[in-house]
Amino acid sequence: MSRARIPVKPGFFTVPDDPTASPRLLGSRCEACGEHFFPRRRVCARAECLSERLVDVELGPRGTLYSYTFVHFPLFGSSRIEHIGYGVGQIDLPEGPRVQLPLAGRQQEYRVGMMLDAELEPIREDGDLDIVILRFRPLARGA
Amino acid sequence: MRDVAILGVGMHRFGMWPDLTNGDMSREAGLAALRDAGLSFRDVQAAFVGHIFSHAMAGVRVMKEFGLTGLPIQRVENASATGSAALREACWAVESGRYDVVMVLGFDKMTAMIQQSSGTTDAGNLEDAILPAAFFALWATRRMHERGTKAEHLARIAAKNWNNGALNPMSQRQADALITPEKVLASSMVAWPLTKMMSCPIGDGAACAIVGRPELARKLNPGRPVVKVTASHLGSEKYARGHLFVGPVVGPAQMTIDGAHAVYEEAGVGPKDLDLVQVHDAFAIEELEYYELLGLCPPGEAEAAIERGDFERGGRVAVSTDGGLIARGHPGGPTGLAQIWETTLQLRGEAGPRQLARARTGLCHMMGGGSVCVIHVLQRE
Repeated sequence: MSRARIPVKPGFFTVPDDPTASPRLLGSRCEACGEHFFPRRRVCARAECLSERLVDVELGPRGTLYSYTFVHFPLFGSSRIEHIGYGVGQIDLPEGPRVQLPLAGRQQEYRVGMMLDAELEPIREDGDLDIVILRFRPLARGA
Repeated sequence: MRDVAILGVGMHRFGMWPDLTNGDMSREAGLAALRDAGLSFRDVQAAFVGHIFSHAMAGVRVMKEFGLTGLPIQRVENASATGSAALREACWAVESGRYDVVMVLGFDKMTAMIQQSSGTTDAGNLEDAILPAAFFALWATRRMHERGTKAEHLARIAAKNWNNGALNPMSQRQADALITPEKVLASSMVAWPLTKMMSCPIGDGAACAIVGRPELARKLNPGRPVVKVTASHLGSEKYARGHLFVGPVVGPAQMTIDGAHAVYEEAGVGPKDLDLVQVHDAFAIEELEYYELLGLCPPGEAEAAIERGDFERGGRVAVSTDGGLIARGHPGGPTGLAQIWETTLQLRGEAGPRQLARARTGLCHMMGGGSVCVIHVLQRE
């Protein structure tokens, strides 16, 4: 049986009960102009709009890689040896927002424009709980 | 801005100074600036103080080093652009007619801040898990994808700044031999494609400028060229699709484009009139991008301009003449004022071994947390 998971910080992404389900990002949509935002906000950021009619929505989990890097230092806050060195990407969500988050995999796998899928990654334990962050993983070709 | 001059400048060399306090460094920088202006602290009518990492009221306490004269003291903070933002407030205080002599002081001990936080670092936020250099590396990767930029272009920028820094006695990094692009590329990888030598160091330091009326500058130092501040801009982000809200961000490129347009219009100059430029080169990719965003070369031509040596001392427009953030250092609060120190000395013809043959108009650009952009134009009268 899989261990219970909690987000490193609440309010940014879902943690599905089904460990095989992809998490989604917690964002907002402006009901006046239709613009989407991540993370959640209560006033539309567009200078032409500034509406206060924003509703909570879930974004992703798929996205397109806009840019990437590979960091040659440990991931801050992680106690796992495999996080010494990690990818980081800017990911364009289909709804519009761009996010920057860690990437699964190695640098050779990353290509600008490739499709990615959101996933949860444990970075350390708290008793019986896994503390998880959100990251993106390159989709297998044809997926 | 029509009636504001830099009366004096002073610095404490940037570096790792575990045995010095903010007060020690600030006293040295401030007294140097007052001596340079030919003024006493009794003449200072107001002070704007910039620091990022110290506790509340640190600015007022540090100012006591100069004496307790009752003057108004105001803290200004805007991340990396703190010193630049403080200068802007001082310029307006003079331009408005309220004061004749205003001190701008910036200081920080980034080393102390990192010692304090290192034991308790916790990835409590999504963005805190990621090394800040990564966000600048993302800009570089995208540039490589769109324009075919090579790591060698970034290495040439860094090597230039390291070699400029070696000629600046206030520079944190003082290489004792010529730095080649090959050496920059061979230094350890931080976040691909950025290597350690393409990245600014952490450090401590202080810098000070005395701002006042140009006629006072003429009276205090007859025969010395008067350096005027002819434009000042501070802008924040405008939302556009794809805006990044989470993380220590690079900031929208449009902020620098808009700021450059604003100062060129205010000063009545164009990018072709600039003899020297200082930018927020915390990482080499930033300097490359700012060449284009400030209009120093057309979009897409930065790589060719780098290969021609356009931005070296002696090139078309010298950039980061004091070593920039990469070599001179970037403690935080004082960084923007180090740019003013360098530009003022160059415009006066007092920059020693790194003096440019022609220096009449200079531009100083700083970003703060990727969320504000501050630009000043300084001109020799």
